[in-house]
Amino acid sequence: MDFAFNEDQELLRQTTRRFLENRQSLQSVRQVLESDDVFDRSVWRSGAELGWTAMLIPEDYDGGSVTDQPLVDLAVLAQELGRVLYPGPFIPTNVVADALAASGSEAQRKDLLPLIAAGESVAAWCTTGDGSPYVRSVAVDATAVPDGYRLDGVARYVHGAGSADVLLVAAKSEEGLVHLLVPGHSVGVDVRRLVGLDLSRRLGEVRFEAVPVAASSVVGTAGAEGEAILARGLRLASVLQAAEAVGAAEYLFQATVQYAKDRVQFGRPIGSFQALKHRFADMHISMEAMRVAAQYAALAVADGQPDAEEAVAVAGSYVKEAFSAMCGEALQLHGGIGFTWEHDVHVFLRRAKTDQVLYGDPAWHRERLCQLIEAATAVENAK
Amino acid sequence: MNVTVPPIPAEYDAYRERLRQFIATHKPSLDWKPRTGLRVPETAADVEALKRWVGALYDAGYVLQRFSEQPLDEFEQRILTEELARTGIPYVLGNPLVGGALVAYGTAEQKATYLPPMARGEHIWSQLFSEPNAGSDLTGLQTRGRLDGDDYLIDGQKVWTTWASWSDFGYLLARTEPVAGAAGITAFVLPMNLPGIDVRPLREMTGTTDFNEVFFDGVRVPASNVIGKPGEGWKVAAASLVTERGGVGAAGSGDSVNGLVRLAREHQRDGRPRIDDSSVRQDIGAYAARSRIQKYLSYQVATKAANGTIGAADAPLTKVWYSELNLEMAEYGLSLQGARAALAEGDPEAYQDGLWQDMFLYARAWTIAGGSNEIMRNLIAERGLGLPREPRGS
Repeated sequence: MDFAFNEDQELLRQTTRRFLENRQSLQSVRQVLESDDVFDRSVWRSGAELGWTAMLIPEDYDGGSVTDQPLVDLAVLAQELGRVLYPGPFIPTNVVADALAASGSEAQRKDLLPLIAAGESVAAWCTTGDGSPYVRSVAVDATAVPDGYRLDGVARYVHGAGSADVLLVAAKSEEGLVHLLVPGHSVGVDVRRLVGLDLSRRLGEVRFEAVPVAASSVVGTAGAEGEAILARGLRLASVLQAAEAVGAAEYLFQATVQYAKDRVQFGRPIGSFQALKHRFADMHISMEAMRVAAQYAALAVADGQPDAEEAVAVAGSYVKEAFSAMCGEALQLHGGIGFTWEHDVHVFLRRAKTDQVLYGDPAWHRERLCQLIEAATAVENAK
Repeated sequence: MNVTVPPIPAEYDAYRERLRQFIATHKPSLDWKPRTGLRVPETAADVEALKRWVGALYDAGYVLQRFSEQPLDEFEQRILTEELARTGIPYVLGNPLVGGALVAYGTAEQKATYLPPMARGEHIWSQLFSEPNAGSDLTGLQTRGRLDGDDYLIDGQKVWTTWASWSDFGYLLARTEPVAGAAGITAFVLPMNLPGIDVRPLREMTGTTDFNEVFFDGVRVPASNVIGKPGEGWKVAAASLVTERGGVGAAGSGDSVNGLVRLAREHQRDGRPRIDDSSVRQDIGAYAARSRIQKYLSYQVATKAANGTIGAADAPLTKVWYSELNLEMAEYGLSLQGARAALAEGDPEAYQDGLWQDMFLYARAWTIAGGSNEIMRNLIAERGLGLPREPRGS
């Protein structure tokens, strides 16, 4: 039994934390909250040297991981990036890299993976028209034309759409769901920056109008494999999102505990009141529950455990809600100061609430969990 | 990072088969009905049958690791606990937590006298800690031990003692030193047949009798029965209490989730199986997530235990998580039954003969026993997070 990050992973954590303190602290993220673009490419390129985009890419394409559980390594990075509410397209770029590594053609891998690994190319993932994880909500049509497809339609809530060099687009074709690579600045691709609740990330609406895509840009095949790519991406995104949430929640929780020790009212630190202590105890319980849920999901997916689907659904439902609740408690326990623009807590709350509805909301993950348990108990009954 | 349990090699099939045959031959049939929780037989005949059963297991070499000072074969232990759990009847009788105290603080003679018969099921033990006026605040216990020559004279009262009416020995905490609080407490081995001990079974809200009150009136116990030194009782007890809290969380809740799915399949509302109701599916998904997290928490605790990094908040956390989830799932199990939830054990129409109704009632024990969840939250906040301690009354 070894349910803990190993020494190399802890070293990776320290290196990443130091790097972020210098180059992309929470304070620096706050300074750009109200600008059009929050994404700093020079930070991204340096981050790539620390492995931000390389873990899921095979060594042949300039990738590489710290341990033989690349997704667990990546979860360490995600926790640290979550801690500072990192704005860049960490999740979508890794999802696209992973999709190419798993299903891309040799040419696609050779063209793109080394650029992604080096931080030269950033990616966005266009899934559905309403941001939900359902195949039927895909709102881009891929119409077959000689030697390829023509894309028409829209994908919404696309993280990093405005800065992406390459888009992985889910589209409906006659053969079923298909994923295609589209250069970010193609003619016919129009990105509108959405005014978001989450100030630390930029989401976009991506419209496709008669965008020609060569057959060589199809990732995998249309149909069952197209749906598998979507499912795989959602699984990965959920794992990384949960790990980010753990990092963010942990930072905020520690800050709130410290505040309760420092803030004096009625002649006592407010953390000495039992009504508040019990709330802190509950926050601690929920923090640890989030931590193990996110950690187990990363491990189960990394190792392809039989309960990997289940673990992702646990993380996707529990962690998302607990992160949001943690931010709400942190705000309440800070009192009036927490309600100011100046204080950090609302930036976390905005992130948590936005995370909740992307890559499958908690209700979607709970339904998945119920289905998986039904299937397992049906098998048991049949025995 | 790795939580996979190595599969049991095929060469152990013979061991399992032998054990299964042994169980089939020796497993006693009891009057006792299996229920959830730590339940105690209600008849002397059941107790005698269980003692013979545990003794036969031990004599045949089926010994649990907790009763052996030698490290035993890991795969055999896994098979043993799996197969014994499947029998649905107890294979550890009484409260064996004194074992840890004796190993850590007992004399060589005490260990030799008490440990082997406990392992064989010959001696049933109970834990004499809680008192009517010392529940959450156990250091305030009032049972007295007064030194009189080479003996102590014990006077006072204990409560919430499982197995007391069937036990041969008690693991007793009493105040022997003229100081308040923890420093005045001493741990004893108390033979339960001594004159002056009165055990009164306590019927609980479940309708069953799983606990007792125990009264002491001038009970004379030799000073050589002290575990550790006089005044060290709190230290002796601390280790076993931690074990107990961890133990509460070790019980699985995965079975209960499957039970909820089964309930939702077998009950209807307005002509539709409840499992087809999306709000029910959401609820089951939420309980399943919390149940799985309990399992993941146990991985974390096991890892910390192996690395020696268990913190003050870990056992309380597990205890709160399990006990509250268990209670909520039991309540939810009733709600899925509709009006049928109004039936209890004994009515022919009661679902699974009232198993869920009993679970619902008994679940209240876990949120209180082993340190109430309010005390657990204080421990988490104060010892885990370092928030200021509660002011103490004089």
